[in-house]
Amino acid sequence: MATGLTELLDNFVKNHDNRQLLALPLAVLAVALVVLLVSFVSSGSPVILGMEFQGGTQISVETTDSPAVLEKMYSSYPITDARQTGSRVIMQFGVMGDEQQRQLEKDVMSRYSNVEIRQVGPIYGRDLQVQALQALVISFIGMAIVVFLLFRSLVPSGAVILSAFSDIVIATAFMRVAGIELSLGTLAALLMLIGYSVDSDILLTNRVIKRRGAVEEKVSRAMHTGITMTTTTLAALAVMYVVSTFSYLVIPSFTQITLLSQISIVLIAGLFADIMNTWLLNTGILRWYVMKPEFRGRYNR
Amino acid sequence: MSDRKGLFKNPRVIIFILILLGSIVAIHPGYTPGEGTTSNLNFGLDLEGGSWLQIKLEGALAQIDADSGKLVSGIVEPIIGAPIEITKNDLDVGGSADKSITFTTSASVSASQLESLGTVSVDKLSGNKTQVIISSASKEALIQAYLSKALDAEIVPMSTQDGMVYEIRTAVTEEQLETLLEKVGCSIHKNEDGTSTYKEGVSSETRDLTRDILNDKLNSMGLKDIPVRTVGEDYILIDFAGIDLATAKEIAEKPGKFEIRIQTTGNETEHVLYGDSIVGVGIPSFHDEQWHTPFTLNEEGARTLQKIALETGAIDNPDAHYLNMYLDEVKIYGAPLSLSAASKLREGPIYSWEASTGTDEAAKTEATALQVHLRAGALPVNVVLVGSGHVDAGLGAQFKTAALVTGLISLLAVAVVVFFRYRRPEILIPMVGTSTSEVIMLLGVASLIGWQLDLASIAGIIAAIGTGIDHLVIITDEVLYEGKLPPTKVFKSRIAKAFIIILGAASTNIIALSPLVVMGFGSLRGFAITTIIGVLIGVIIARPVYGIVIKELLHTDESENVGMTE
Repeated sequence: MATGLTELLDNFVKNHDNRQLLALPLAVLAVALVVLLVSFVSSGSPVILGMEFQGGTQISVETTDSPAVLEKMYSSYPITDARQTGSRVIMQFGVMGDEQQRQLEKDVMSRYSNVEIRQVGPIYGRDLQVQALQALVISFIGMAIVVFLLFRSLVPSGAVILSAFSDIVIATAFMRVAGIELSLGTLAALLMLIGYSVDSDILLTNRVIKRRGAVEEKVSRAMHTGITMTTTTLAALAVMYVVSTFSYLVIPSFTQITLLSQISIVLIAGLFADIMNTWLLNTGILRWYVMKPEFRGRYNR
Repeated sequence: MSDRKGLFKNPRVIIFILILLGSIVAIHPGYTPGEGTTSNLNFGLDLEGGSWLQIKLEGALAQIDADSGKLVSGIVEPIIGAPIEITKNDLDVGGSADKSITFTTSASVSASQLESLGTVSVDKLSGNKTQVIISSASKEALIQAYLSKALDAEIVPMSTQDGMVYEIRTAVTEEQLETLLEKVGCSIHKNEDGTSTYKEGVSSETRDLTRDILNDKLNSMGLKDIPVRTVGEDYILIDFAGIDLATAKEIAEKPGKFEIRIQTTGNETEHVLYGDSIVGVGIPSFHDEQWHTPFTLNEEGARTLQKIALETGAIDNPDAHYLNMYLDEVKIYGAPLSLSAASKLREGPIYSWEASTGTDEAAKTEATALQVHLRAGALPVNVVLVGSGHVDAGLGAQFKTAALVTGLISLLAVAVVVFFRYRRPEILIPMVGTSTSEVIMLLGVASLIGWQLDLASIAGIIAAIGTGIDHLVIITDEVLYEGKLPPTKVFKSRIAKAFIIILGAASTNIIALSPLVVMGFGSLRGFAITTIIGVLIGVIIARPVYGIVIKELLHTDESENVGMTE
């Protein structure tokens, strides 16, 4: 699979000029930005904020009752949603008072087994929103500084940083469209993506700028290595996603692990975006830069 | 083939093997028939079952600008119910000499009304006028007294580099505080750049004190090993392994603000003292047909209690003036002064007290509970529950199995991809071997430092497998740049080049996750720390060895003239 994809991509890169390479990733980035903007204008937030960032309670229980039954049973509490995942039902509640909260917890625990409860107060939720944004910004700036220190040259570093930025934006827009909430798990995935997605960009830039050889050849070899890297990671993540999300269908005693499921799906989306951004966007900019007449083929020999 | 033996003389390889063995010893895996597998690994709440609580400390910090004259009028006039005229004021004068303020008024004043402000002396002047001198006064004490009364909360002035900062130990918004201060001609101090010095939260000392008291409290209840830790600036996180959420809440919410109030008239009560006046608590004992919990008051507490008992008339009629104890505004105990205590109070303050609860078993339980409340009930600030969670032990076990299976299958999937790419077992085996040893070392570190592995950490381990393999692919491709193994000299520079890329990639990984280590996201810290340790182990210990091993293995191959399949 990796080899087939590499050949395909390699031929595409060789047979198109830099402008053509940039067209697709920039178009996707633009669409992603529009998605986030529309979401921001219509709902006040570019992503769907999960319970942890809004405040409320999430209770998941093992049961054969349908979500509708549970929703009715707990209708005296501020229940907002109940949905089935395998042999479990996850219920979402809005913010409630301490006494009511306690009553609900007691009731659920006495009635069901294998209970999981997570509750976040609205104040802490708002705090977390601010911290999440800070974490993303600090993480991104930190990454950008490291990249710049590695190459000490504006255009190549800029290309890597732009490519990483696009990965994050596309992964976030994917979350919005696929209805995946921003939770602590998906936030971790986005942060991870910032560090992860630049690996192949660093490989590419390093090979093209710091090695001798024809640019075409260097890009092509970097691509062989880079695609292998990304596919191994994708393989690990795909397994993580499938096992954490669907294993209960095969082995009834297993259960869905939401945290792992969310982390993996967001990383998968981000890494697909990364394949495109590294080998089209970053390659396009880098190839244009090193072939500039003023370098007189310094990077192409 | 002699080279292959030479491998075990390479110091890097030796270190690698030693650390790997050490990690296995640290993890100490074992299998007992009937009990299943055992190890030294600690698992987090979501894998072991249990609950956690996150609490926020309520309070505010602010610097305050004050005009001492207006401040005194603002405080005194409502108390005495008449305007005052300040005749002498040296509170604003520098130096630490005994400062005083003098004013006159037409109303009659008793010294005890103004006692909280300083040493008060009252003189009748001619013509219906009263002169009051408050000495040993200070602006800080005035502000403290005013806010403490207005907010019914403790106010603690703290001198810092920037000036006096007041810690208000209750929830108050900037607007509320500003309004209160305006009434007495004060205001919240602005920084030079115009920003307010008001800050929600408490000082880090207070936060740590609260954490320590909670720790003491849980330990005194026999709940050892319940970690209480501070998260971020204003949060405290408590993990209750193996304890359900309802019980956890009961345990944690018991420590609260302890207060003794005295009944004045009817159902009205007046504040006497807070838990911080209690300096010692004894063990409940049975004597005089009753269960008793002994406790000791400090000088200030004992004097206050005596004074208020005199003022309210509790000494003459104890039964109409119950002493009530409150924890977090909820009454937990109430009893009148005993006759002997009442008569003793007439003579002077009493330091050693006993709270009697009754004769039966229930009384014994109450006395024991009272002991804990009196001892550790004195949290310096109010706390609110901002987050909580609970995982049943059965569910945790399911998570654990599923996470283990996920990790193993992930590794297998990676191996399959690597095999299809290189189609050479000499590459596949060292690669998967290196990756596996990295995981073992990571787990070794985890058991050594007593790190709790939770679900997020498992995700971190899988992420570490992912980056690890990526870096091994970089090394492999770099070494085999021409499709075959280069001479040793070129090989060395290739490895060096590969490591430049790997170090670059590893540092972005670490930098990108470091905000999670510092910030208060609770569970995500585990993820970030695990991933970062994983990356470090890989880069420093495991991956260089992979380079050495692969060279030896491929070297033997090349001599047998096996080409690269691509």
